[in-house]
Amino acid sequence: MADWRLADRRLAVPVAATLAVLGFVFLSLLPPTQAPGWPGPDPVLCLVLALVLRRPDQMPALLIAALLLFEDLMTLRPPGLWAAIVLGGTEILRDRARLSREVGFWAEWALVAGVICGAFAANRFVLALLFVPQPPIAPVAVEAAATVALYPLIVGVLRFGFGLRKPATGEVDARGRRL
Amino acid sequence: MARDQSTEAEIRQTRRLLAAVLGLGLIAIFLVWRIDSPRVERLRMAVIDRIVPDMGWALVPVARIGAMVADFTSYARVYEQNRELRRELQQMKAWREAAIQLEQENARLLDLNRVRLDPSLMHVTGVVLADSGSPFRQSVLINVGQRDGIRDGWATMDGLGLVGRIAGLGERASRVLLLTDSASRVPVTVLPSGQRAMVAGDNSPLPPLDFVETPDLVRPGDRVVSSGEGGVFPAGLPVGQVVEGRDGRLRVSLAADYLRLEFLRVLRSQVAPTIGDPGGLLLPGGAVAPAVPADG
Repeated sequence: MADWRLADRRLAVPVAATLAVLGFVFLSLLPPTQAPGWPGPDPVLCLVLALVLRRPDQMPALLIAALLLFEDLMTLRPPGLWAAIVLGGTEILRDRARLSREVGFWAEWALVAGVICGAFAANRFVLALLFVPQPPIAPVAVEAAATVALYPLIVGVLRFGFGLRKPATGEVDARGRRL
Repeated sequence: MARDQSTEAEIRQTRRLLAAVLGLGLIAIFLVWRIDSPRVERLRMAVIDRIVPDMGWALVPVARIGAMVADFTSYARVYEQNRELRRELQQMKAWREAAIQLEQENARLLDLNRVRLDPSLMHVTGVVLADSGSPFRQSVLINVGQRDGIRDGWATMDGLGLVGRIAGLGERASRVLLLTDSASRVPVTVLPSGQRAMVAGDNSPLPPLDFVETPDLVRPGDRVVSSGEGGVFPAGLPVGQVVEGRDGRLRVSLAADYLRLEFLRVLRSQVAPTIGDPGGLLLPGGAVAPAVPADG
């Protein structure tokens, strides 16, 4: 019985992440009720980065790739490119997940901001390289900035809404495995 | 302990290898899209076609709530709006008189001419299901598709004016590329001067008017209708009015109500007959000689 619940808990993060991404895509698909103005942040990117830093073991690369590819397909982006870039970004963060545990939130935010800006820049660069028509640079920059600004909010919701925080160094889970 | 660490490093390396393979797979998908875009777009449309109509039950109430919230915020301006509406109503009454008179006159003239209205302008009405989902693409999905005889490229209107054209077909859904999308280019005529121009979407609510022959002849307030050039759209569909942007550029204020896209009409346009041969000689006796190519 206890084992079963533990297994459940290990599945909780992937399942919740999938549901959240589906929810965000669903919301973005709602018919337009306001004039197209400045673009908002990209919540899916924030969520994936925050979860990779918190539970790297429970956010496998396959899940990230599948979720982002699905989002690419639904939101008319060139399929595959953004997913590949985000996958690269999460791999960079995954290597530094243990390091980011030891530093405070500000350093983590700076790291994530670097990854977000790098992802947007890489996306633009590759699209320009292959002559894919692109939106002008100003709204994209606004989107990147808004995404960076949204990150603490997502982290706050994860921390205070779902009790998901970065494990301290050397903390173990209920089975005694290192987190 | 040392052994534990070495297995951990092995696991990490395997994981990184798998992630690299995944990333390469995704990039391969992207490259295939870049090389053979239509096929991958068809695949994308098939995925959307499977998912979105099944989401309709959830999309409709949420969209309705959004519309209610928008309506509620407009209560704040209710007094202002009321006055505006009264003023508009007065103008409308005058117009209504004029319209009734014109209608009677038109009926009389049609009767005199025995004109038959063009039967090619029939339409299929669909309900808007979903948005493009991206701030950089302006398109909506509607719930009619191949099953209903829709074809790629057909013009789409709401009750008031041109909205866009069909770009992407599924079995049960199709995508309407709005005039505001940066990939949308529609040939138009500006009335009354008759100037030809292009409405070129740029992701803003007021798309600019490009390639005007003589910009001096175009004034803010002029009517813009589709010109039917290129055979994409039927001619004479209302598009909007000319306005001048703050930067002095001519733009089009669209007649269609883009904030309340709910029901859209897809106009069935017939394939225009193309005139290929240069025309045969008319011989006495009613026979027509086959056209002779100029160089043969």
